[in-house]
Amino acid sequence: MSRDLAGVWLAEAAVFALVVAGILAERPWALGATGGALVAAGALVRFVPRLRAALAGAFARRRAAALAGGAVLALALPLALRSSPYWTFVATLALLYVTTGQGLNFQIGTAGVINLAGAAFAGLGGYAVGLLTVAGGWPAWLAVLVGPWAAVLVGTILFVPILKTRGHYLALVTIAFVFIFNILVNNLEFTGGPQGIKNIPTLSLGGYAFTTRPALAGVELPAHANFYYAALVMAGLTTWVLRRLHDSWLGLVLNTLRDDEIAARCCGVSVTRGKLLAFSIGNFFIGLGGAFYAVVVGFVSPPDFDFGYSLVMLSVIIIGGVDSIPGVVLGACLLVPLPERFRFLHEYRLLLYGIVIVVMLLYRPRGLWPARIRRYR
Amino acid sequence: MLGVMYALVAVGFTLFFGVLDVIHFSHGDIFMLGAFTGLTVLAGLKAAGVGGALLALPLTFAASILVTGAIGVLAERVCVKPLAGTSPLMTLLATLSLGLVIREAVLIFYPRGADPKPFPQLLPQGGVELGGVAIRYENLAILGIGLAAMVAVDLVIRRTRMGAAIRAVAQEPEAAQMMGVNLDRTVDATFFLGSGLAAVAGILSGLYYSEIHFIMGITGGVIGFSAAAIGGLGNVYGAIIGGLLFGVLQTTAAALIPRGSEFRDVVAFAVVMVFLVFKPSGILGEKSVERV
Amino acid sequence: MSAAPNLLDVTGLTVRFGGLVALDGVDVVVAEGETVGVIGPNGSGKTTLFNALTGLLAPAAGDVVFLGRRLTGLEAHAIARLGIARTFQASRLCLDLSAFDNILIGMHARRRTGLLDSVVRRGRLVGEMRAAIERASHLLALFNRDLPRRGFERVGQLPQIDRRRVEICRALAAGPRLLLLDEPSAGMNPEETAELMRDLRIVRDEMPGLSVVIIEHDMFVIEGVSQRVVAFNYGRKIAEGSFAEVARHAEVRAAYLGTETAHA
Repeated sequence: MSRDLAGVWLAEAAVFALVVAGILAERPWALGATGGALVAAGALVRFVPRLRAALAGAFARRRAAALAGGAVLALALPLALRSSPYWTFVATLALLYVTTGQGLNFQIGTAGVINLAGAAFAGLGGYAVGLLTVAGGWPAWLAVLVGPWAAVLVGTILFVPILKTRGHYLALVTIAFVFIFNILVNNLEFTGGPQGIKNIPTLSLGGYAFTTRPALAGVELPAHANFYYAALVMAGLTTWVLRRLHDSWLGLVLNTLRDDEIAARCCGVSVTRGKLLAFSIGNFFIGLGGAFYAVVVGFVSPPDFDFGYSLVMLSVIIIGGVDSIPGVVLGACLLVPLPERFRFLHEYRLLLYGIVIVVMLLYRPRGLWPARIRRYR
Repeated sequence: MLGVMYALVAVGFTLFFGVLDVIHFSHGDIFMLGAFTGLTVLAGLKAAGVGGALLALPLTFAASILVTGAIGVLAERVCVKPLAGTSPLMTLLATLSLGLVIREAVLIFYPRGADPKPFPQLLPQGGVELGGVAIRYENLAILGIGLAAMVAVDLVIRRTRMGAAIRAVAQEPEAAQMMGVNLDRTVDATFFLGSGLAAVAGILSGLYYSEIHFIMGITGGVIGFSAAAIGGLGNVYGAIIGGLLFGVLQTTAAALIPRGSEFRDVVAFAVVMVFLVFKPSGILGEKSVERV
Repeated sequence: MSAAPNLLDVTGLTVRFGGLVALDGVDVVVAEGETVGVIGPNGSGKTTLFNALTGLLAPAAGDVVFLGRRLTGLEAHAIARLGIARTFQASRLCLDLSAFDNILIGMHARRRTGLLDSVVRRGRLVGEMRAAIERASHLLALFNRDLPRRGFERVGQLPQIDRRRVEICRALAAGPRLLLLDEPSAGMNPEETAELMRDLRIVRDEMPGLSVVIIEHDMFVIEGVSQRVVAFNYGRKIAEGSFAEVARHAEVRAAYLGTETAHA
């Protein structure tokens, strides 16, 4: 029994150590070494059946412990990265992509509702926060809680009629929408035009301003760590809620809708209601990610929410695996930090995302962490 | 004018849907690629000393059609056909991503790709007044070329063997195969045809706006697809009508709405949205009905 | 004939596809607990009848009354919730989901827990799901005692006869009053067909009040399970009665064998 435990925690700690080392490595050879070690470990687990089975079994038997271990490591991350506020920010960004990704995945992966306007719905959340705080004087935390509802509201109004039609029309309409959104916020005065909305106040909870530098275990962390922990809670809650919804009647109904609409209808499923529910729930979390982004960065502008970001959100889902809750987490953790670490790739980022998606769809359509059979736990 | 270009792109979309039951989301970027290929060829010809419109233009069209057509077939072989049997979601995502790849490739690899590129004015300038309406020779030429392309497509589809094969595969792929139609070659031909048309549309767009930009494929794709949808996916004449209709709608709306020309794209997209919301299966009806 | 009102009363049902008349003034009656077989050559309107009954198609004329309620004009999901369940000619299962999931969807209309329970009062949801899986296992075990053990496997990995069973279980899971089976024996060899007939008899024993309408090409199955047979051709009902009566009917034989043998 304790061998399972040791195996799980050792594996998690090893990955954590290698990743942190890779992030902080200063010399190319160090980066190469850690990268190589990670790839080698991954290959070993993938291709050596006994190792793979042993690890898989250990993780399956010790799910709670694995989650606990992961949580501890996630909490410790800013500590490990304290020398680099920038990387704390990147980690926060990854968590934001987890949040929006789970929402988008619920729409596309679980319900088969093809939403290519993820960036616009995130933008609605972000701009709502900007307007509420700067123009309306609301406190940041309240704006973040209310902002996502703008995304839900707009989504519901605009798309109720279109949801009844076939998938590719919805996809098209969402593409049109994200462009309309972008052009509108770029040209309208009350959204600040091309400059966007600046000076969004930072979060402040019960007097604790997020600009103060927190301390963990007696060690002082960069101020960004505040946002990281808040984002961790947000991403964690999002994943928790959506996982539970996925492993319930709603998830089952949505999957059936996605796979065979006619069979679903003959089993008493209302297609309109199901799709609208998935669309709205998903939009809330996408908007939440955008809303939080606004307070982390302090401003929102049109280029932050253009079509390209819709495609980035899409690639997060596809790499991890459509309809796979852990897949989204993996996808975000891979796709967000890597182009930051390998700066020379930055220009080619979108090109690589596109190639990766095509390759994944051709050869591993279920993603790197495919969705599992529902167990209703 | 605009309508003619949209119509050419729309025909591509509708052909692909007819033959493989797929929405080829990167077709818009193929349209952009056609424009850029044309520009490159023109630049090359100019460097080689061939500047005259009479010679340069047909050569450009021909070269761009061939190259773009070939790339279209390549895209189909790599990305569209392998996924055609799986869920429509997969093809949508794959072609969408392929479009992204094409777009980014142009952005990255074309010198100063992010900037809009001026397109040489090769068509006769000036115009004539007819009953109070100013008609520019340039627009007439564009209209003429576009119409010629559409007539050519019509001839190919109705009068050639390959055209008959395309129509057969669009209706009943299995029956067509049993009658000896080579499915792969027909699909290849369809993609070549569609992509070639998109190339023509791309060059026309360059001539019309006097510039091209690497993101023109997105707008072109969305509008082209909507036009095809308006006309009923799978219906070539519907696509042509849809494209022309769309062009008229967009020009009219842009003229009526204040600051309309700035918001030209918004207007286009809004028209798309409104139309798809109320009549998604098009004016002339969509091709297939799902069997229960 | 029982004096009780009919479960299903179809009068003058007409369905058109553009210019094509798929169903032409069809009158069909199904009593409670009855098994009616439907035969007819391909394209004679049998599946169209099912599609019209379940609300997938809108009839051009005619009425469908089920348990005293008019079905015409209702949406498919509303009709399903009234107590009509069906299987499909080309099996419509979610191949990537587990066998249990495919059956559970049949039960979802009767769930007691809601979204809130799924997230916050998880214990309630888990309890309800456990009971539902129990029920699904019970249904599967009726046909094949080994099947419940494979309940959490992807249904696409099961052999075809078991997939058919899963589809039938999905229809039964909803606790319907009327079960519509569309060519359940399609693609089966004689052994599998015999098993299917056994399955259908088990269904009848397990749910005696259930009315069944079964479309079949395999006359062996029709003869074995139906109490009454209806024959279609070109969208019209051409014969009705016991299997023997219908099989002897001249027009039926003409439809299947051609006019020369009809009077042989």
